[in-house]
Amino acid sequence: MGGVQPLSGSFRDPSGSVYQFEGRIFRTVNGCFSQEFDFVTSTGLFQKMATEGLLLPFEVVSSDVLKLSDPKPQYVLEAPMLPFISYPYEWSFPALKAAALLHLRIHLQSLEVGVTLSDASAYNIQFQGNQPVFIDHLSFRRYQSGEMWVGHRQFCEQFLNPLLLRAFFGISPNAWYRGTQEGITTGEIRRLLKWRHYWKWNVLTHVVLQDLFQKTSTKRTKSLQNHSLAKASFPLSSFKAMLEKMSHWISQLAPLNKGESTWGDYDKTCSYSSMETKSKKQFILEFAQTVQPTLVWDLGCNTGEYSEAALNGGARNVVGFDFDQGALDGSYHRAIERRLSFQALFMDAANPSPNQGWNGLERESLQSRASADAVFALALVHHLAIARNIPLVQVVHWLLTLAPQGVIEFVPKNDPMVQELLSLRQDIFPNYTTEHFMALLKEKAVIIKNETVSKSGRLLVWFKRK
Amino acid sequence: MRHLGSFVVISIILIVFGFENSALAYLDPGTGSMVLQLLLGGIAGAVVILKLYWSRFVGLFRGNAREESEHSSSEDQK
Repeated sequence: MGGVQPLSGSFRDPSGSVYQFEGRIFRTVNGCFSQEFDFVTSTGLFQKMATEGLLLPFEVVSSDVLKLSDPKPQYVLEAPMLPFISYPYEWSFPALKAAALLHLRIHLQSLEVGVTLSDASAYNIQFQGNQPVFIDHLSFRRYQSGEMWVGHRQFCEQFLNPLLLRAFFGISPNAWYRGTQEGITTGEIRRLLKWRHYWKWNVLTHVVLQDLFQKTSTKRTKSLQNHSLAKASFPLSSFKAMLEKMSHWISQLAPLNKGESTWGDYDKTCSYSSMETKSKKQFILEFAQTVQPTLVWDLGCNTGEYSEAALNGGARNVVGFDFDQGALDGSYHRAIERRLSFQALFMDAANPSPNQGWNGLERESLQSRASADAVFALALVHHLAIARNIPLVQVVHWLLTLAPQGVIEFVPKNDPMVQELLSLRQDIFPNYTTEHFMALLKEKAVIIKNETVSKSGRLLVWFKRK
Repeated sequence: MRHLGSFVVISIILIVFGFENSALAYLDPGTGSMVLQLLLGGIAGAVVILKLYWSRFVGLFRGNAREESEHSSSEDQK
């Protein structure tokens, strides 16, 4: 096996594969699927959806570009490289909801021209800033009269059920989703339901009955039933109605217990005075104006106030990370309202997304997706070094692996926020000092600028890796 | 409840054996999802049938009423 290899996550679909080669992204279309692909192309759907921003645009390039020999693909498509790849288990509630609605919209538009989707994988959607975009051009194929929504179960597991977990029970789905990778099964959601949920028609059908039929069918006359089902027919009008009703239901879903977030109101309640916030924003603005980064990672982004400052300064994209659902929801709404190229993802900095899935390589770890030009760690270090007992030296070294330059804020021990973290526990951090932090940073980076922004001595440091 | 159960089963049987179809099988749709879709399709079909018969049923009376009125008006002219 020589030559270019497909990406490690691209193996499920026999219709084609995805390759990254010389900094470009290609998708092959195999001979077995070329008729389907030709048909979809002939409907004009690809072009229409790409123009509307629903689908990632592509162009057909020479099939020799990848130098693949046997079997040679029928077509090679080139799509633009996205600045960052994220996974559904890292998305916030409103982002997953937007992705679900995009999927349904695309499917409905496709059916209008005699095309359907062969699956409903949430991994087929990526975000450009706050906007979801469909990336899998091989999910589209000819609709055959009377066929069912084959991706319905997958849609429920990867979109609907994680949304219901937060909408009905106020539980963040991210850790669960990351654990299973394929979403949350309908059987699991059904077990959590209370009687009051059963009276909703959508819950009754998509959760209760679907699970009931699945379970009873595995017990009785499975082979006979499967034979009949394989030949069964579903009217197109019912198919469309099902997609439309699902879309309406999902558009109505909202998180339960919005007010219980720790950080959602952080902008209003944090210990910064407005002067401190102003000077911090000014520092970020200056950094972005000077560096002009293509991609910034904002670790512990909260509701994205400083991500916005970076974008205002000239950063082209910001990906923020936080583990608080309220902060993520706030970030999403900030990005929508102000049209920012900003996406906030769920992540606990002390437990970032690992390599996982088939062969441990199907989905990449956060670390291996580290392609940012700059990293921000504002008011983050004390959460790792004190609240999570991670040695300061490791925190500093880890941050330096993520990007060649950035801004780190060091919050000293006498600051009220650190005092709160220490209020119920013994201070076992004698080395947690500004001097020690600076010494560690200087070992591996050059300090471009630093500035004290609060009376307690909070220090912003602009560094460049050696 | 028993009637509802019979209705569901009859709808499913009607639909299952009424048509034939085979789709490209890249993804296992899951039996639960398929039976559910047959049920939903069956309900939608039943609603269409009911509407159709209802309009015929109503039309029957309306038609009779119209015929009667036409009949009486023609008698009046005599």
